[in-house]
Amino acid sequence: MPDTCEFLERRRTGADGESFEHERPYCTAVDAFVQPMRADVCAKRYDLDPESDCEFYRGAKGAGSITGFDGAGTTDSEAGGS
Amino acid sequence: MSYDDYRDGKPLIVTAALTGGVHGKEANPSVPETPAEVAEAAAAAEEAGASILHLHAREDSGERAFSAERFQELADAVRDATDDAIVQHSTGGTAAPDALRAEPLRTDPAPEMASLDMGPLNRYRHLTSENTRALVDALHEEMRARGIKPELEVFNGGHLNEALRIREELAEPPYVNLVFGGGTTTVPSPRNLLHMVENLPEGAEFNVLAFGPHQLPLTTMGILLGGHVRVGLEDNLYYDQGQPAESNAQLVERTVRIAGELGRPVASTAEARELLGL
Ligand code: SF4
Repeated sequence: MPDTCEFLERRRTGADGESFEHERPYCTAVDAFVQPMRADVCAKRYDLDPESDCEFYRGAKGAGSITGFDGAGTTDSEAGGS
Repeated sequence: MSYDDYRDGKPLIVTAALTGGVHGKEANPSVPETPAEVAEAAAAAEEAGASILHLHAREDSGERAFSAERFQELADAVRDATDDAIVQHSTGGTAAPDALRAEPLRTDPAPEMASLDMGPLNRYRHLTSENTRALVDALHEEMRARGIKPELEVFNGGHLNEALRIREELAEPPYVNLVFGGGTTTVPSPRNLLHMVENLPEGAEFNVLAFGPHQLPLTTMGILLGGHVRVGLEDNLYYDQGQPAESNAQLVERTVRIAGELGRPVASTAEARELLGL
């Protein structure tokens, strides 16, 4: 398993031309610099894991529901509200 | 802790939350991140009227740092750059291990104050800052042993119950930071600020922290209710709608100006220490 999220890069310049003195965590799944708090997920620090802890990763991978629910076995009326 | 305090001219403690750990330069290039940048921002905020400086440590990449060594570097830089402002370290840290959360308390000298999150807080879609009672009590115990005044971070009404849970162990006066914003923080409204103030622990001093566009109106209300206020780029990246804030000092200056117009004197650092029993 790689040490960091596969979508993590470290860059000084962003897609919109923004630039920084120091390299920052950059997410290629959403093409944006990552907020510092989320960057711990990207770096897989503290037992964090993109697959369970990052919605961008799950979206990029088409991971679906965290419970595994895929709608099978339901109908529209059953899935609907009151 | 009341409108009477405002009328009586109780000094207003202004805290500057200079950097935080949630967003950084990717959100507003004016957010200071390195120790040198935070120190420069601290000096300007103190000059503008802030008596407490709320600090988070970061790596040069903007990422969060929790080690005592990085906090030491940061606190040293801030102390060198400022006169005698009160240094308050954050012990917050969503998803960081409990042991790391105590690291910011272990500088030499210890910070005069440190934040103490009173309970859970949701972050993003999958993260929660758990802040178990066991962690709250462990951090509080270490703060007491090191002579550090806790600033109780009350993210919502339930956390007032948690503050009451440890009321007897708190040094006088308890200092409660009432937090308003989205997610699991208190819904930002004047009525909710009144409710939270009404339910404070007996004898507490309170501070108002409101995120984003709520910073200006709710801190102003806090001034009128005899509370204290926290402003800065950690909590609010904008000076006005669509207008990014240029600096922490700019936000402090506005608060000081409003307090002046309302006739509330801004506390010197000595007055802040006296009010908080430091
Ligand atoms: S934001 Fe999510 S998808 Fe992007 S690099 Fe970080 S963990 Fe991976």
